[in-house]
Amino acid sequence: MRSNSSTASQSTMHPDIALGRFDPMRRIIALDDFDRGFCGWTQLVGNYEDDLDAMLPGYAQHSSPMLSTLGHWDAGSHGGVDGDYALKIATRPEAGAQNTAIKRLTFRKAGPIRLEAYVTFKPEATELKLSETDVRSFGFLFDLQSGDQSGPGSERVMPHLRFLNASDGEHVQKWQFKREAVPIVPIGSENKTISHYHLAPDGWEDLPGGEQRLCYNEIPTKVNWHYLRFDFDLEAMACTHFQCNDRSFDMSGFDSLRIPAMKNLWCMLNVAFFAETDTGKRTFLYLDSVCLSGDF
Amino acid sequence: MRMSTSAVIARNVEWSDKACSEPYEAGWADTAIFFVRALKPGSGMAGRAFLEISPDGMHWVREGSSFDLPTGKDEVSFLRISHFGTWVRLACEFAPESSLRVLVTLHLKS
Repeated sequence: MRSNSSTASQSTMHPDIALGRFDPMRRIIALDDFDRGFCGWTQLVGNYEDDLDAMLPGYAQHSSPMLSTLGHWDAGSHGGVDGDYALKIATRPEAGAQNTAIKRLTFRKAGPIRLEAYVTFKPEATELKLSETDVRSFGFLFDLQSGDQSGPGSERVMPHLRFLNASDGEHVQKWQFKREAVPIVPIGSENKTISHYHLAPDGWEDLPGGEQRLCYNEIPTKVNWHYLRFDFDLEAMACTHFQCNDRSFDMSGFDSLRIPAMKNLWCMLNVAFFAETDTGKRTFLYLDSVCLSGDF
Repeated sequence: MRMSTSAVIARNVEWSDKACSEPYEAGWADTAIFFVRALKPGSGMAGRAFLEISPDGMHWVREGSSFDLPTGKDEVSFLRISHFGTWVRLACEFAPESSLRVLVTLHLKS
């Protein structure tokens, strides 16, 4: 039985009920509960110049996120953790299709930040089967660049993590990261824009000890929400903690995709979530809520 | 304050024969407008778009509203809709040898 003093202490720690299920650093940068709308999460559109045909195919497939009640044909709306709506990222129904949602910020202090989120994923319920291997992956990434006074050697740093749920019908269930830079493609003729499809399926590496069996309920229309936490130090440009539900992972073997700093992205703090399907069914990634905090 | 958003449903997609946009879930919205902009001059005959609604995002039925798609570059057609439930999409039909490069946007308001 919990003591009264413990109860009082916990309620004092999080007087705002919306923060109660997070463990944020002292500065809340963003608390996005999609019961309040899109909260600045939009689609990740690819770069182009003069003609949309210049957009790389990986980006051309992206479309706008939605606000969803997780409505299902057999059971109606599932709802979120504590409200009706979640942000829905839906792929097209083609094997390997991906989609993303992104929030674009800049940072005011190059120090520790923490991303927390409640998420879940499912394939479209087009079959009366468990369908647990139809979702290939879901994950998240930051797109970061140091400040404009950071001097020579400045980098654009992109930590990526994905949960590889399935591959070619195999229920893999492990976390992976990506540090291998992908080809950078000049866009247009004015030497102002480049593009690189960093979510391409190649170049992912297994996170050591990153195998994890997540709750996947018995039919495709039952979902359970998962807690994610990812800590990153913007000064060292290094990950300091990663947690999914009850598991915290050793991140000593983790690294980010790194490329030389770009001339127009100083202090960039972008965060994105993505989904990928392994079959000809749409994959849906749902975000109930996201909390981004910092130690400043 | 009322909520509103603009969603890009299809961008730089070539529509011909029978095609449809990806489903969009918008149960929170009270009204919406679909805009279709021709990104390039259309080929052949003008196509026609039909509003479809769905009980589950998987099974679709025509709501009854339809409109002619544009033919000239940067021309825009639209359809105002309301009382559409949760899922919406546009289906289109083109005559043989006809097509259109489209930008389809959905503008929702609570």
